[in-house]
Amino acid sequence: MPNLIELEDVTIGYENKGMLGPLNLAIEKGQFWGILGPNGSGKSTLLKTILGLLPAVSGSVKTSDGTVFGYVPQSEKFDPLFPVSVGEIVTMGRYSRVRPGKNLTVSDMDYITSSLEKTGILHLKDRTFRSLSGGEKQRALLARAIAGEPDVLVLDEPTASVDVKGETQIMELVQGVKSDDGLTVLMVSHFINTVTEYADRIILIDKDSGYFKAGGKSEVLTDHNLSTFFGLGAGSGII
Amino acid sequence: MGILSEFISSYFLWRDPMIVGAVSGAVCGFLGVYVVLRRIIFVSAALTQISNFGVALSFYLEGLGMGVLSSFIHPFILSTVLTSLAAVFFAMKRDFSRISQEGVIGFGFLIASGAVIILGDRITKGAHDIANILFGNAVVVDPGDVYIIPAVALAALVIHIVFYKDFVFVSFDEETARLFKYPVRTLNTAVLITIAVVVAVATRALGALPVFSFLALPPLTSLFLTERLKLVFALSVIIGALSAALGYFFSFVLSIPTGASMAVSASAFFILGLLWREVKVRT
Repeated sequence: MPNLIELEDVTIGYENKGMLGPLNLAIEKGQFWGILGPNGSGKSTLLKTILGLLPAVSGSVKTSDGTVFGYVPQSEKFDPLFPVSVGEIVTMGRYSRVRPGKNLTVSDMDYITSSLEKTGILHLKDRTFRSLSGGEKQRALLARAIAGEPDVLVLDEPTASVDVKGETQIMELVQGVKSDDGLTVLMVSHFINTVTEYADRIILIDKDSGYFKAGGKSEVLTDHNLSTFFGLGAGSGII
Repeated sequence: MGILSEFISSYFLWRDPMIVGAVSGAVCGFLGVYVVLRRIIFVSAALTQISNFGVALSFYLEGLGMGVLSSFIHPFILSTVLTSLAAVFFAMKRDFSRISQEGVIGFGFLIASGAVIILGDRITKGAHDIANILFGNAVVVDPGDVYIIPAVALAALVIHIVFYKDFVFVSFDEETARLFKYPVRTLNTAVLITIAVVVAVATRALGALPVFSFLALPPLTSLFLTERLKLVFALSVIIGALSAALGYFFSFVLSIPTGASMAVSASAFFILGLLWREVKVRT
């Protein structure tokens, strides 16, 4: 399959109730896709359907054989009751390559250490995850995602809980690992500026109006769409 | 000193129940870490009651005279089978037609509790046993329990050591585990079945109250004391075993019900842990 991920006539939704579709999408190796849309527009549902975490109501989602995903979920989803350290969390990212019942090898541990170093959090490895700041948590989750040597890096609102400085640092890190390792990136975000700055492909989605458009930035982020979905006037300078 | 020397000199009376209690406390303390961290404490309450129901049903069927089927309705086998089936059900089924899983677990707890009382009322021969199981009174234990409970505990611990990383992973982040094509449902079922089997054998020996206490209170206490996950497991094992041993000791010397004494001992550790945590936070 020439494409890494293909959606063919896919309808997304929950419990066999279609929300939006049919959708067609082809994601090639090395592309950086930003998924944009208003709150409750179906961004996360689309992402989970692409990842195979939610079954498509109809149509087919095809992923190239052997594709390994690295996933950066929203840090708020983790239960603060769990006393796991940063080192333990990052180690979990390597489990994509270590099957149940098997132990990690020295080589696996090297990748984990390397991921901690790349994201600049080696000194935090013994700290509990719940004690970290928003930016540190995102770095830890990014380290976890790249510890598994992924082909596709998936980020769900990676800058939602960080300040502007932290946002820039996180996105520079993402851009850095994408370039170094030739990764494909899928990123859901509310922040149109962040997405347009880093992504080379955009998905604009809104289940309420039945809108779905995927393609290059200039093709998707037209004045009409910016006005309709983000309330931005013509010539807003986003592109 | 007199009480202690009297206690020590009568070790032949308490040796077996002490072994059974301490091992049950230790293994329940270990497994309880998953119960607490997955926020399914009510599952352990429901499983202990379903185990009780299995024992009560066994006594009831035995009273009816089932002949050659009697070996299949042995309290140990019936309670283990029913508790394991309930664990599989709770692990497999998450959505119950707009009713939360917690609601269905509550239903399981209540129907099992009600059925135990109804069956207990119908049993004449084993009425005293039913009361002991409900409230816990492990003054003496069956000789076989000295072997069965450590063997079950060892088997559960071996499974949990081999799959430690996997059980922690699916407990902490099930979504990513599914993304990695982990057998999440199988691993979740394995966690609950090990809990169910241990609950079934420990409840029959000690009673529902202390077993439920060991599953909940030592892990909660450990979470007050440390922020290291592996240390939480280790401390929970130690506190579970100590709660059982001290509970038995106080039951022996003060002539109070054993199961209740074990539950109060575990509660005392919980209060000490809470105080320690509060002092640490304020200083």
